[in-house]
Amino acid sequence: MRLVALDEAAEAIGLRRGQGLAEARAIHPRLDVIEEDPAADRAFLEAVADWCDRYTPLVAIDEEDGLLLDITGCAHLFGGEEALLNDVLLRLFQMGLDVRGAIAGWPGLSWAACRFGRCGVVVDEDRQGMTATLPVASLRLSEDLVSSLQKFGLKRVGDLLSLPRAPLVRRFGSQVLLRLDQIVGAVEEPISPRRPVPLLSSERRQIEPIQVEEDILHVTEEVARMLLPGLEARGAGGRVFELMLFRVDGRVFRIEAEASRPLRDPKRIAALFSERLKAIHDDLDAGFGFEILRLNVLQHDDFQLAQGDFEGQGERSATLAELVDRVTARLGRNVLQGFDLRESHIPEKASVFLPAADGLAEGRKSETGFGFRGGERPLRLFRYPEQVETVTAEVPDGPPFRFRWRRMVHEVLRAEGPERISSEWWLDNQDEAERDYFRLEVRTGQRLWIYRRGHYHENQPPGWFVQGIFA
Amino acid sequence: MAEHATAQERLFALRETIARLEGKAVPALVAARQAKAAQAPQDMAKELRRLPLGVPAVDNALEGGMPLDGLTEIRTAFFRDAGSATGFVLALAALLQGEHGRKEEEVSNPVLWIGDRACAQEAGLPYALGLMQFGLKPRQFLYALPRKLEDALWIAETALASGAPAATILEVRGNPAHFGLTESRRLALRAKDTGRPLILLRQAGDEEASSALFRFRLEPAPALERRLPDGSMLGGSIGHPLFRLTLEKSRHPAPLSFTLEWNPRDRQFDLLQPSIPSFPALRPADPVDRFSASADRPDRPAEMGTLVAFDRAS
Repeated sequence: MRLVALDEAAEAIGLRRGQGLAEARAIHPRLDVIEEDPAADRAFLEAVADWCDRYTPLVAIDEEDGLLLDITGCAHLFGGEEALLNDVLLRLFQMGLDVRGAIAGWPGLSWAACRFGRCGVVVDEDRQGMTATLPVASLRLSEDLVSSLQKFGLKRVGDLLSLPRAPLVRRFGSQVLLRLDQIVGAVEEPISPRRPVPLLSSERRQIEPIQVEEDILHVTEEVARMLLPGLEARGAGGRVFELMLFRVDGRVFRIEAEASRPLRDPKRIAALFSERLKAIHDDLDAGFGFEILRLNVLQHDDFQLAQGDFEGQGERSATLAELVDRVTARLGRNVLQGFDLRESHIPEKASVFLPAADGLAEGRKSETGFGFRGGERPLRLFRYPEQVETVTAEVPDGPPFRFRWRRMVHEVLRAEGPERISSEWWLDNQDEAERDYFRLEVRTGQRLWIYRRGHYHENQPPGWFVQGIFA
Repeated sequence: MAEHATAQERLFALRETIARLEGKAVPALVAARQAKAAQAPQDMAKELRRLPLGVPAVDNALEGGMPLDGLTEIRTAFFRDAGSATGFVLALAALLQGEHGRKEEEVSNPVLWIGDRACAQEAGLPYALGLMQFGLKPRQFLYALPRKLEDALWIAETALASGAPAATILEVRGNPAHFGLTESRRLALRAKDTGRPLILLRQAGDEEASSALFRFRLEPAPALERRLPDGSMLGGSIGHPLFRLTLEKSRHPAPLSFTLEWNPRDRQFDLLQPSIPSFPALRPADPVDRFSASADRPDRPAEMGTLVAFDRAS
């Protein structure tokens, strides 16, 4: 067991990272040791990253203990880079974190400045001088490479910069050059944010934190109103919205809600979240209140402006969409479903369920597009055909007289059929046996749709299955 | 004399108040309406917001037809009648959808079916092609399958309040404790507010007090044979579905029984003669008599549950 992290007191008494636990205990017997938990560390870092969303939507996690924020175009909102950095550091310090931070023109340099150089904003004038004095370890190279560079006496980044590039590659590989280029900004290095950047976003900072659900919804509506110009400029309406609630103690809640058709109306956007808030009521702990509310549009579609007609047709489809949205927001996508008809003569493939939200979104196809010519089909179809046992039937292809289904013997009074349905041989791997379907009226009053799979062979009777029930 | 007249007036006023509380028609208006109904029954159905089933005998019993702004309950005694019950409820829905669809060719309001997990497991899910052949528009059919009964009730209430579906069908199994008089009253009031019908389909349930205006008990009857173009019957075939209905709850004093046939092609009900045979009775599951209780010993313990099926000896 080795030490991986130390607090200030431990550093003060001369312990260091990588030291064996037994050795450390020998130096100082009253050590308080906690086992490492990388998952918890990671979760904490994610939470801090969530919190950092208040400064910029582009937050990336850097290895185990760092965050990279792309503040391009954001700094002026907080009164300049210096003020932004101070704000971040101060707030995190007040949360009890020991944080170092630096702002530079590109990720490589800010990484190095933050960990090895002077913290703060790296200004253009002293950039070159500072880069040269940084140690080679600040190049984000592997430890072996760093130690072999140091053996050659190359201690500073400036030492490497003054060397010819070709021999450097030959001796140490291309990695060194790439890192060198990144620290001087000769190569563009993208920051990959942990979350997709919202298409549109608006937020409201509360002077007085809010706790009550009604207040949250009220502010959501206000924020949604602020989104309106952006949506109008794009000629779009939002489909997927995300509400971010920043709690005063740094925790961030994200609530996503989906609309079945593009939305612009602030009231309806707020109504979406009203159902979501009810659904997750117990998980949302308001604590001392939320100080920032942000509404993101994650996905949007073309918005068709509809003029109200006298018959109220448009209004009617709008209320239907509202109903679908409310049910979807509260109970999930798959609770409310609509039909999608497919052109297949295999019964279970001809009709599938789709979430109603999707059905509304893609618009109604015409009713006449699908012409079905076949025998009578049942009103209800079982999810999986149920096998029946001990069938006595007319050989080779007559209907059954008597069979056992659901632990009950059924006597057939009348039968219609057979209707033969073959497998879809034109598709690969669809070489199933043929099915002969019968409509039966049994003694208990049920009308069943039953089929025989395959034909009679020697020593191998075919299986019989009930697939649906008629009215 | 004047005193008597005042008392009468107060009595009428009280009756009117009670009628309003109960959501019934004001008695003074009823007499006038009945006089009008004798002249023009069509107008009466429209005024009362009823959907006529197209069979005069039944419509008279229902005071004009199925209520369009209230709760109608259909129940079956056994779960095996689920298919038949589904058929009757969907026939009503098709009638409703047809009513709307005739006026506006393209879009009519959808039918919302709120299912029950156990029923879906036992009796299957609605099947689009079957619905199409039954006279419904599959694209205007929504199916909800919530996890809990509370969610189902919430969906039903939301749907009724929004007024978007042409008909809301709520399927429950048995007589759940969470769905009593209070809940059904709440749904009925919602239906009254927006003027949309709610059909409660109670599979394998007992009679229970609810705020449904009408309650039918339904069982299947053997189908007639298919009718050939020349009027004769095709032997051995299975024709349109038949529903044997008993109007258990209505303003009529005695329960009324009748048999209806649904014709999906014309989307209409036909009344059949009462002489239609019923299914041959099932042999009693347990034909052996139990021994009589002994006089000198305590009585045997009460039986638990009901016997659903029993193997036949032969």
